[in-house]
Amino acid sequence: MEISITKGTVDIISVNGSVDALTSPELVKVLNDHIHNGHPNIVVDFEKVEFMSSAGLRAILASVKEARTAGGDFRLAAPQPSIEKVLKMAGFHNIVKIYPTVSEAIASFG
Amino acid sequence: MAKKPRVALIVGSGSVKCAAALGLWKALDRAGIPIDMLVGCSGGSLYTSTMALGFSLDECISYTKALWNEKVTAEKNWKALLGMVFPKLFKFDHHFGMISDRQMMKNLRQVFGNKTFQDAKIPLTIMTTDFYTGEQVPLTSGSIVDAIRASIAIPFIWGAHQVGDRFLIDGAASDPMPVDIAIKEGAEVILAMGFQAPLPSKVRSVSRYAFHVNGIMTNNLYQSNFAFHNAVHHAEIIPIFPQFDRSIRLFDTDQIPYVIEQGEKAAEEQMPYIQKLLNS
Repeated sequence: MEISITKGTVDIISVNGSVDALTSPELVKVLNDHIHNGHPNIVVDFEKVEFMSSAGLRAILASVKEARTAGGDFRLAAPQPSIEKVLKMAGFHNIVKIYPTVSEAIASFG
Repeated sequence: MAKKPRVALIVGSGSVKCAAALGLWKALDRAGIPIDMLVGCSGGSLYTSTMALGFSLDECISYTKALWNEKVTAEKNWKALLGMVFPKLFKFDHHFGMISDRQMMKNLRQVFGNKTFQDAKIPLTIMTTDFYTGEQVPLTSGSIVDAIRASIAIPFIWGAHQVGDRFLIDGAASDPMPVDIAIKEGAEVILAMGFQAPLPSKVRSVSRYAFHVNGIMTNNLYQSNFAFHNAVHHAEIIPIFPQFDRSIRLFDTDQIPYVIEQGEKAAEEQMPYIQKLLNS
């Protein structure tokens, strides 16, 4: 898994690869460090995520809670249909704002 | 994970679509990944039972066709139907179901005979629901036929089935994809295959109406449970959701080869990660 950060009005954190038990601790660390460094509003770009397991879901949940506790929000962008299915099955569409594109996710912050 | 992780395979409710579990089984067998426990619910109980008892893939396919076909719903349960109109006269009770279970029991006995959970080569749990309390009742002992009959007692369609002193119905009424059993038993790697009930756009009979309402409730329960199980498990749940490009109806047994193929394909997509996880 590779993670990159693009600075902007809202920072975009792009994830590439699998988000699973072997990789999610790193993702949680990067996301939480970023949130605690004064960037509680984040867009996480999932366009290049090809697989996500329960550990990945828990990683998202942990960072969503961190962002909201810090007064911001975690918004997910561009998940592939297979990832979107897992997110929906786990009820994440009810608790996390998910957008089809990164630009729509950024615009949602107003 | 220092010690060898325990691997559980869960096959949730989904009628004939559960045959996709045979494709998953094939892929696991080819990769040399052993399963430490099997958990089945409703349609999934048929396949987990055949796997646990050590039947071959070909036997599983032929038994499915023998077990699950339109004959099992051909005979109406007239006493129950009349009981809807004259409840006192026909003694309406928990045995209510629009379809007689005579043919289904005959089919189940033909395939499973007197086999019990003790005959299983891999520990097996079949999920059912207590009709009166609504509690989950995971069965791990006794007759396989009785356990499957109870686990597939779709509400309104087949009546409750007595096991011991309890009246049991479809496991999907309480736990459509029983990942929690594997969590409780200490499995680290949980392979979860489950299916959403199809919701047709037109409903033109009482039985379709019953299936439809039941499907809405089961789908919502399935999602809620899946979310909870993912949040609380300490290790890994790997969802294996086969994709179907056509509608697979309740008794489309002619679609079984296709369903198995899609199950195998979905499993193959996850196989690199499963292997990496087991070897980590």
